[in-house]
Amino acid sequence: MRLFAFLFWFGIPTAAFAQLTITGAVTDERGEPLPGASIGVVGTTVGTTADADGQFVLVLPLPATETLLEVRFVGYQSAQRTIRQNDGLTTVVFQLAVDALQLDETVVTGLSAAASKKQLGNAISTLSARQLETAGTSALDKALTGKLAGALVQQNSGNPAGGATIRLRGTSTVLGDADPLYVVDGVVVNNSSPELIRLGGGAQNRLVDLNPNDVERVEVVKGAAAAALYGSRANNGVVQIFTKRGALGKPQITYTSRFSTAQVRKTLAVNKALVDNNGDKNPDGSNVQRFDHQDFIFRRAAGTEHYVSVLGGAGSTRYFASGSYLADQGVVANSSFRRMGGRTRVDQELSPWATLSVGGHFSFSNSNDIPNGGLNSNYGALTGFIFGPNTYDPAPDPTTGAYPNEGVLANPLEVIDRYDFTQEVSRYIGYARLDLAPLSRLNIDYTLGLDTYDQTALAFIPAGTSAPGLANGFARRAAFDFLQLNNDLHVRYQQNLAPHVQSTLLVGGTLQYEKGATFSAEGKDLSPVAQTVSSGATVVASEFRSEKALYGGFVQQTVAFFDQLFLTGAARVDASSVYGQDQRWQFYPKAGAAYLISKAGFWQNSALDDAFADFKLRASIGTSGGQTAIGPFARFTNYNATSYNGRPGLVPSTQLGGAIKPERQREIEIGADVGFWSNRLGVELTYYDQHIDDLLLMRTLSPSTGHARILQNVGTMSNKGWELLVRAIPLVHSHLRWESTLTYATNKNRVDGIEGGRLILPDSFSQVSAINGSPLGVFFSTAFARDANGHIALDEDGLPMRAAERKIIGDPNPDFTASWINHFAVGRRWSVRAQLDAVVGGDVFNFTRRLAALSSFGVLTDYERELNGELPAGYNARVFRIFEHWIEDGSFVKLRELSASYRWQPAFLGTSSVQLSLVGRNLFSLDNYSGYDPETNVAGQRTAVRGFDFVEVPIPRSFSMRLSLHY
Amino acid sequence: MKATFCGLLMVGGLLWGCDLNVANPNQAFEEQVLTTSDGIKALAIGMQRSYASNNVDAYVRHPAITSRELAANTTFSNLIELEDGLGALTGANSGVHSIWSNSYRIMGMANDLITNAPEVPLAEGTRSGIVALAHLYKAKCLGFVAQAFAHAPLDVQADGQAQFKPREELFAAAIRSLDRALETATSTPPSDEFNADILGEGFDLINTIRAYRARYHLFTGNYQAALEDADAVDPAATSVYTYDAENENPLYAQVVVADDYAPRDHFGLSSTESGDARLAFYTVQSERTSNPNGFPIEDLAGFWHSATSPIPAYLPGEMALTRAEAHAMLGNIDAAIAEIDAVRTKTPVDDPYGVGASLPPYSGPQSAAAVLDEIFRQRRAELFLHGTGWEDSRRLGQPGPSADPFTRNRDFYPYADQERLNNANTPADPDQ
Repeated sequence: MRLFAFLFWFGIPTAAFAQLTITGAVTDERGEPLPGASIGVVGTTVGTTADADGQFVLVLPLPATETLLEVRFVGYQSAQRTIRQNDGLTTVVFQLAVDALQLDETVVTGLSAAASKKQLGNAISTLSARQLETAGTSALDKALTGKLAGALVQQNSGNPAGGATIRLRGTSTVLGDADPLYVVDGVVVNNSSPELIRLGGGAQNRLVDLNPNDVERVEVVKGAAAAALYGSRANNGVVQIFTKRGALGKPQITYTSRFSTAQVRKTLAVNKALVDNNGDKNPDGSNVQRFDHQDFIFRRAAGTEHYVSVLGGAGSTRYFASGSYLADQGVVANSSFRRMGGRTRVDQELSPWATLSVGGHFSFSNSNDIPNGGLNSNYGALTGFIFGPNTYDPAPDPTTGAYPNEGVLANPLEVIDRYDFTQEVSRYIGYARLDLAPLSRLNIDYTLGLDTYDQTALAFIPAGTSAPGLANGFARRAAFDFLQLNNDLHVRYQQNLAPHVQSTLLVGGTLQYEKGATFSAEGKDLSPVAQTVSSGATVVASEFRSEKALYGGFVQQTVAFFDQLFLTGAARVDASSVYGQDQRWQFYPKAGAAYLISKAGFWQNSALDDAFADFKLRASIGTSGGQTAIGPFARFTNYNATSYNGRPGLVPSTQLGGAIKPERQREIEIGADVGFWSNRLGVELTYYDQHIDDLLLMRTLSPSTGHARILQNVGTMSNKGWELLVRAIPLVHSHLRWESTLTYATNKNRVDGIEGGRLILPDSFSQVSAINGSPLGVFFSTAFARDANGHIALDEDGLPMRAAERKIIGDPNPDFTASWINHFAVGRRWSVRAQLDAVVGGDVFNFTRRLAALSSFGVLTDYERELNGELPAGYNARVFRIFEHWIEDGSFVKLRELSASYRWQPAFLGTSSVQLSLVGRNLFSLDNYSGYDPETNVAGQRTAVRGFDFVEVPIPRSFSMRLSLHY
Repeated sequence: MKATFCGLLMVGGLLWGCDLNVANPNQAFEEQVLTTSDGIKALAIGMQRSYASNNVDAYVRHPAITSRELAANTTFSNLIELEDGLGALTGANSGVHSIWSNSYRIMGMANDLITNAPEVPLAEGTRSGIVALAHLYKAKCLGFVAQAFAHAPLDVQADGQAQFKPREELFAAAIRSLDRALETATSTPPSDEFNADILGEGFDLINTIRAYRARYHLFTGNYQAALEDADAVDPAATSVYTYDAENENPLYAQVVVADDYAPRDHFGLSSTESGDARLAFYTVQSERTSNPNGFPIEDLAGFWHSATSPIPAYLPGEMALTRAEAHAMLGNIDAAIAEIDAVRTKTPVDDPYGVGASLPPYSGPQSAAAVLDEIFRQRRAELFLHGTGWEDSRRLGQPGPSADPFTRNRDFYPYADQERLNNANTPADPDQ
């Protein structure tokens, strides 16, 4: 056998010589290497990427006499070079020119085939790994903050794994989940925020299981115009994430470690009055001593992360593998988050026309959580602090160890020391993808994706604590098991219909299935020592199972004329198990056009061509659906289990089932992409108009029907706004390169069709409403009485008066968001990056301060001022019931990211490069907000309740040192 | 289309999720309940549970404030409105809504049982028991709606646009339902299966049907029929709604535990005799006054002293007082006084529930008006917090409505806002 192989090799010596190896380098205009640039042979799948030094090796197994190489790199204009076998040229250096507009960038989301951005009728936002590297956060969604025009990323809690929400072009649902659809390497990935135990607004959203270090590229489409192919799941937009993959050549190893420290940016000034909240001194006449309980709650937190990856490939196999470990403390004492994970990917060429890719992601995380009351419970550390009074020392008695129970609610220090709230998550995301190219014009790909996790949460409050209502102990265990599968088949056919007229036809189908189960049990009145539910004197359990199935099929046709005009038409049909029987099949059409006017003959022959490097006009219209507001079994009139005399019975739910269908969005967007100054200045401008019909709202029924309410598609909603992105490379100098990116976006939301005009939203203490003609989530409550001039009316005691009628007192939706990112490359080794984020015009409901101002609690300076006589007696009690008083402007400008990196190649490490970065995140905030942080939200990831501050953990200021080694 | 997709995916070796008709493992849905014998039996049990928890509560707790049997003892605005009555009470009041919506909810369940029980395989006696029970429950709901509202729909209607009929027609419909209930239960006697596994423990189907028919005949002036039905009720029989830890006695929870309501001193009636032994049965004397209106209040005992106390569906004493009123209205004053005396002189040991006045016989004037006043006084004491006090005050010509804390504060309730919002046929609210 060996002999045979030996003979075989020597028997066909010409084949060995036919192989062509090309080596080369990719640099920018300054000659600086561009690691990660992709080098490919046009018209084939052969390709590689440049290593850390910008070097590449490309092996062509069966080279043609002429090979056209193309190099692409985000932010640079692509370049092509023809290699002739006969030339013997095997070394090429590509020097790429900057491209602020990036119209050559290849994208795939929502398209028939990978296409450059210039062909699209819609805007698409993209991010590369480099833009995430120095974000100073280990959660992908938080790292996206400020980097995408039209995406409002809000971090709802400052806990180490605290949740974040992303709104792409506003909110398109009232009752459902408004976060975008996430797709990772073709796998639909769940981003739920299971609230299994009561933590206030600090629920994790499950995107936290992914490691941003694994991410190579992110593509974001924001509405129906671009995302119609995703059908019933596209109303909130689509975020598609591509992870790193292997490349032919020697193994490339990356090791990254981070050490970080975090601290709250500010604490609240507490009441320092020398009298108690009744205005009295101690019985012995001495001054009352007051404490700042925040000193016991907050700490300087430390964190670390280690990440190692290896990628490479030989022959027909490419591989990538990574592993990571993360441990972050929270700024609230005793809170922490740990995550371990790994990702693998193998791409195997089965034949010249078939490639199989198999990959998997595993993560395990656990957290120690400190509850903070919030909307649903009254125990918590910050809760205990704000309900005060701060006239007692929360420290345990040094001899007995007992925690003083002198507060209105639980002693905050006892919550931190004795409550035990934890969560654990194991997750596996796996996929297999088969790519076939049986004919040069025909491509077929099939993806099977699996996402499954189980999240288990434990809560334990020992007996004998100051927890109101739970003083005899409380134990809860709750688990959420989730599984989601997606099968996607795409068939693509490309052909030239005529000279300069190219057609791409895509036919596809998808089948998606998900199931989830929540099981919880809790015990109260616990036996001593034991922490399990079964130690409770009373135990209750509950279970809920959910199952959904969805099919979709679509056709999309793109035609390109003269590489100038690109037209797209598409249609998708969908069926989902959650829709009513008669509404099963849904139809979503889409159309788009892009015109590269700067390529037109008249343009190129005119002076316009000198002024503009690129000028593109685009327009598209599309429809999509949303089904997040529909429960898995809402189409039925369900009967609930009950019992009478211990005999099992059934009673109909007061909610009537019905012909529920998806919320349907129609989006029109128009825009222009313009490149000036040899494309060193690029401007993307987009206007969008989304109209959502069939908005799902709960309607009441005449009680004489025997039912109380029904979920119906009766409302409408709209989102309109502008998105602007300006990217400039004002300086390209051998010692200094400056890149500056500005994004600006507005959105106006409006809800209509609500029965009776107003819907009070749950989990908002009845303060937040959806009101016809107003943006979703306005604060509707009691207001000041005002005189004809608009001044607050005062009564005879000089106290403000309350208006008879409630009204809209605030709106948490910002007028605009803007970010300004500057990146400086200094010399060969230094780079400095700074990002300022502005969110302007949104109101925040400072419920925290409102509570602390009441005399029974009196923890903050509002009440101190009343005790000191700076405010009239009874002032705080009066304004306690005038909610308008507690609405504050939540506008802010934050220095979100500031980093300095130094990269060099130490001689003793050979060809390796080392990068050391110092990263600061959320370093300062310019705002007029009196609370901790205008960004957080006690309602967590809830859709409609935003801007609600009620003792949520503030987002800390953090510093990290990041060391990255590429070998 | 579906076959094509599944075919497509069979290529991938996957059939998971090909069924769009995903079953709900958490709950049954309508078809599963109404087309199976297990579903029908479970619904019959669920209807009784729902009535015992929600309707017994709604029919007593809120009208008892209007009739002055209970005092509001909290500053919740819906209770303050109820106690102010007159123009202060609006259709937005949750108490008003609860009587309205819970009644039609039970009527919907009863209709489903009446329509579907004959269509599923059941033993004859089980079917007749379920149908008779459903007619009885529907009748009770119609009757209680007619006690609180001047007009109302005669039945549930799916399109939400039911016509409103005068309350007399509701009582007539209730009587028709009771006729059918009795007919069904007597022509095919309920099976042992029904009595043991479906009918509420301690609930006497036949006697309850007769007692409610006597009540509605009396309310609508069919005195002879009322006499006959009242006579047919076995005076020794009891019939109760039962409660347990999971399904607590609603008045215990709201009055005794929450203390949002409290029984008024002397049953809220100035003429109550201080020697009446029923005061000690129904209340525990207390020196408290209510908040915010400062009425003297007692603590609650009677049928609501614990979470698991059973509540009678009707009381034997009501039959004697029904006969008394029917006789009086038919001009037989002596016969009326004899029935009154039977109630006045009854001692707790003579009553199956222990309700006894232990008073001397009636010694007042023999006029019809005086006798009817006495009947009202006896009904207030004998039937305290049984949901008829408001109706009695109207029917027996008591003064009101007014702000006087010893007279009813409204004649009828305004219509529930949710009905008005959705049903164009909702009439104007009565002024008071």
